[in-house]
Amino acid sequence: MIDYKKELESASRSMILIHEPAILIKMIVRMIVRKVNVKHAAILLYNKEKNSYVLTISRGETGLKIPPGFARVDPNSALIRFFTTERNKLLNSENGALVYGEISNLIWKESVLKNGEDMQGLLHDVSEQMQMFEAQVCIPSYFQNNLLGILLLGEKNSGEKFDHEELDFFSALASDVAMAIRNAQLFEDLRNQLDHNRDLFIHTTIALAAAIEAKDLYTRGHTERVTKLSLGIAGRLILDRAFPVPDNFLENLQIASLLHDIGKIGIPEMILNKIEKLTPEEIQIIHEHPSKGVTILQPIKELSECIKGVKYHHERYDGMGYPEKLKGEEIPLIASIISVADSYDAMTTDRPYRKAFSSKEAIAEIERNIGKQFHPKIAVALIELYKEGKI
Amino acid sequence: MSKLLIVDDEQDIRDFAKSFFAKRKIDCLTAANGREAITLTKNEKPNLILLDIRMDEMNGLDVLAKIREFDSNVKVIMVTGVEEKEALDKAKSLGASAYIHKPLILEELEKIVLKEIQ
Repeated sequence: MIDYKKELESASRSMILIHEPAILIKMIVRMIVRKVNVKHAAILLYNKEKNSYVLTISRGETGLKIPPGFARVDPNSALIRFFTTERNKLLNSENGALVYGEISNLIWKESVLKNGEDMQGLLHDVSEQMQMFEAQVCIPSYFQNNLLGILLLGEKNSGEKFDHEELDFFSALASDVAMAIRNAQLFEDLRNQLDHNRDLFIHTTIALAAAIEAKDLYTRGHTERVTKLSLGIAGRLILDRAFPVPDNFLENLQIASLLHDIGKIGIPEMILNKIEKLTPEEIQIIHEHPSKGVTILQPIKELSECIKGVKYHHERYDGMGYPEKLKGEEIPLIASIISVADSYDAMTTDRPYRKAFSSKEAIAEIERNIGKQFHPKIAVALIELYKEGKI
Repeated sequence: MSKLLIVDDEQDIRDFAKSFFAKRKIDCLTAANGREAITLTKNEKPNLILLDIRMDEMNGLDVLAKIREFDSNVKVIMVTGVEEKEALDKAKSLGASAYIHKPLILEELEKIVLKEIQ
């Protein structure tokens, strides 16, 4: 029984579970150098971007030590071809390892001779490459027939040969490493996929929001500004620990802010862009836009939290808003935030019927309406942002 | 005997390159920065310089320009990290004879150095 075996084995098993192949590889190489007492050990790892096997780790007290990332091996080079071409693999012992001292025997093997000079030439080049890395043994690591990397081992300090049991063990270790790398890659891919889907979703939402702005001439850029402001206020509230904030709150707030006026798609343009004073009937129609927004978004069940923001962003803290005259804390936090951001932006931009307020005037107006139109904590958060020059 | 000067601000790379070329019977000097490189070039007159482009303090191009002020003959191979076309064009105009990208293929490093140092 090899004495370092257990230690390495248990380490590699536990590393497969966490997604840190780099740490695993480093540890394995270090342990091999120390426990197996080789002059040096290194790992060539496939790097997709560089389309090369890059020397990722190299360690050794007495032998060759190549700085990580300094050297690479071409996928078309003999060493890689040796390990990737099926018929070549047959040459190796069961564990797949290639031992430098045995290459000269391989060259004279019947199957090699039959294959002509090609194979002999290849083996010759392989041995030169191994010399370059001062490697006594190469152990390939595969995942589903793809060569992920090669473990290179230098001479033992004692000058002894590697025995079969050791090679078997290294080979098993190499496939554990392959598994860990593969898991980490899958994990990474999954995360990228999620990011991608999220981007797609956000962009779709932005496109939807743009549809509103195409109709309502005076609100150009409004959605984007409200979204930014809402997120700014929320950031402030989180910092001040003003409210317990549920998971995904910021994401939902972003989407809800982008879509808060989506219901205006269902309001006639002549009302939206009217310069004269609106009639009570027209005001009634405008007040329907939150509910129309809900109707539009309802089929998307993933948006249920966001819909609350869309539906209630015209409610008032004192219960005088619409559509349901909710009061105080009955109004969902997401809607109360959008309400403040929406009002501030509306005040500071030109409207068909009036000129824009200055920021100072708008802030004063918000302040006057604390506890009336606006939730006090949220209005205060906006005022703080203003005082800090962040809006 | 031919003399090679290795200029890199990473100790590991200097150590490795030195032992790599020593095994190939090439006499090696090393410099950890531009200043050392210039002094060594003046005093030791290497036949070939392996010069890293990316270094703190003085980068490889500045070092090359300074060396060219007093030595227009010494051969220089630039070592670069990523594809830096502009830097390579500049190195060429300053008379660098070749360049090699990191991560590099050891056989190519060996070949190019042996060729240039003749």
